[in-house]
Amino acid sequence: MRLSSSPLGAAALAAGLWLSSADAAMAQHWPTEPVTLAGGRLLIGGDASVTFGSDDPGWFTYTDYETSAIRRVRAGATIEVRATDRIAFLTEIRAETGAGVTPYAWYVRVSPLASGLVDIQAGRIPPVFGTFARRSYPQDNPLIGSPQTYQYLTSVRPDAVPATADDLLKMKGRGWLVKYPVGDQTPHNGVPTIAAERWDTGVQVRVGPPALEGSVSYTVGSLSDPRVGDNNGGGQIAGRVAWHPVPAFTVGVSAARGVFVADNVREARPDAPPGDDDQRAFGIDAEASWSRWLFRGEYVANSWSVPPLDVPRIVDPLGSRAGYVETKIRLHPRLYAAVRGDVIRFTTIEGSGGLDTWEADVSRLEYGVGITIRRGLLLKTSVLSNWRDGGRVRTDHLGAVQLLFWF
Amino acid sequence: MDGIRRSGVPRSVAATTAAAVALWLACGALAAGADGVIRGSVEIRRSQVVTEARPAAAGLGAAQRRPVEFRPAVVYLDSAPSGAFELPETGRAAMDQRNQAFVPHILAITVGTTVDFPNSDVTFHNVFSLSKTKAFDLGRYSRGKSKAVRFDRPGVVQVFCDIHSHMSAYILVFAHRYFAVTDQAGNFAIAGVPPGSYTLAVWHEGEVRDTRAVTIPDSGGAVDAAFVIR
Repeated sequence: MRLSSSPLGAAALAAGLWLSSADAAMAQHWPTEPVTLAGGRLLIGGDASVTFGSDDPGWFTYTDYETSAIRRVRAGATIEVRATDRIAFLTEIRAETGAGVTPYAWYVRVSPLASGLVDIQAGRIPPVFGTFARRSYPQDNPLIGSPQTYQYLTSVRPDAVPATADDLLKMKGRGWLVKYPVGDQTPHNGVPTIAAERWDTGVQVRVGPPALEGSVSYTVGSLSDPRVGDNNGGGQIAGRVAWHPVPAFTVGVSAARGVFVADNVREARPDAPPGDDDQRAFGIDAEASWSRWLFRGEYVANSWSVPPLDVPRIVDPLGSRAGYVETKIRLHPRLYAAVRGDVIRFTTIEGSGGLDTWEADVSRLEYGVGITIRRGLLLKTSVLSNWRDGGRVRTDHLGAVQLLFWF
Repeated sequence: MDGIRRSGVPRSVAATTAAAVALWLACGALAAGADGVIRGSVEIRRSQVVTEARPAAAGLGAAQRRPVEFRPAVVYLDSAPSGAFELPETGRAAMDQRNQAFVPHILAITVGTTVDFPNSDVTFHNVFSLSKTKAFDLGRYSRGKSKAVRFDRPGVVQVFCDIHSHMSAYILVFAHRYFAVTDQAGNFAIAGVPPGSYTLAVWHEGEVRDTRAVTIPDSGGAVDAAFVIR
């Protein structure tokens, strides 16, 4: 779905955003509000960021084989066209180094009731599971890195699977470039537990007042492999219920189940015993805030089922448990500090050498500060300390700086 | 004057203080006549802004639609008369947070005024300003609660909410009392102006848009002034 693969795409889009905002809103002022045209029928918001961090030889911060979350230029524009009071079309276009220009989201939103208690969205839609993937990048993220649940590349792939438990264990701690004997033989990065960098395609319904609302979606991909087109003949159903009893506190419970393994795997091994081939996840999230403090946390229990093929077979689903807590405190009108503790743990499988975790456990501590240069212009810097129980590089202390602008 | 016009009220008020006092001392006769009133209108031909939340494709539902926000102009004496800079009476004013908007959008006060920021919404708000005149951050607080800030320097203070990026407002802090905020019809009146010649300025959304020389005769009375902002 890329419109352009120009390496200058991000910079060009950023420049375009700047010019459009300056022209349409306040030509002589730094834009602080979205561009609003046609009496509120057309809204345009934008953001741009430049992130530069230290070299990451352990691939802890990579979102695919080529892109590190702490080394990229990124720009995005969100456009909302309100055709009527009940129907709106939304799209979010992003451009970033190495990825060209991509329509990240495009969908229609229908609000059938005047009360606003029901919304229906169809197209390439935001994920209902959890919270982090829906935080508008990057100003809602107090730090630079992402929680590992949403970014760390595991050794699981939808289009290629290990024939034996030993095949899987060989890839432990190497999620940035994975190769398996069954399915697509091309080395490719594995998937994170939940993909925050891509959104799925389908239909979503939200019901309820803000104090207690529920959302459910049916999409063609899965949490870790959102797609525009189907690759396995099965979809995913996901849902979240959020309770917002007081302004200071929100708690949510999420669940998802969807077919994960692509058809090409079973085509390559028609002798594989029938199975679910799915991804299942359950999550709890919470956010609390008071005065100058903000606290957030999520826990996700996840599993992937892959076909049990050759001995030693992978008989149980490949499980992971991940969670993070983060806090942000504003120290001065222009300065805040934030810290996030983040772990991901994996279940064990029986290989030729005995019982072992199928993927290397990883822990991360990220801490940093954000300095507001002016409204809509934020400078962030953080330190990411990563520890992994496997792989070639087991400890990696990284530094990063990010300058971001939004309106 | 160019510098004054570019920067708006803060430098204009501060920079003209000394000049106005000196002018009064030199003339020495301004206090003799009857006070007058400067009245008129400001017609804003620029389209009024619908202050919407940033479009969020990440939302699971529609954000509440918001009405067109009334954004008045402020008319004030750029060169103020004698006595204008005596210690103004300190008072209180309020800027509410209602329906995810600051109400009023423009607040004009004198130095020393304390402004209350009550929260009338069901959601949290976090009022803050990065302005040189007064930087502050009130933190998050809920419905029914209020926090206050005293403004002790003249200038323009742009106010935001750290949670709702579409919320913004202006507080204009004057060292004198010769100012007025236009009403819904665009009308204004500045009363009690001593006889003399002044520069009348009109400010709208962060900028001084126009200035005009006005004279209150010794006999006092009303002086009309009409502005058009395009």
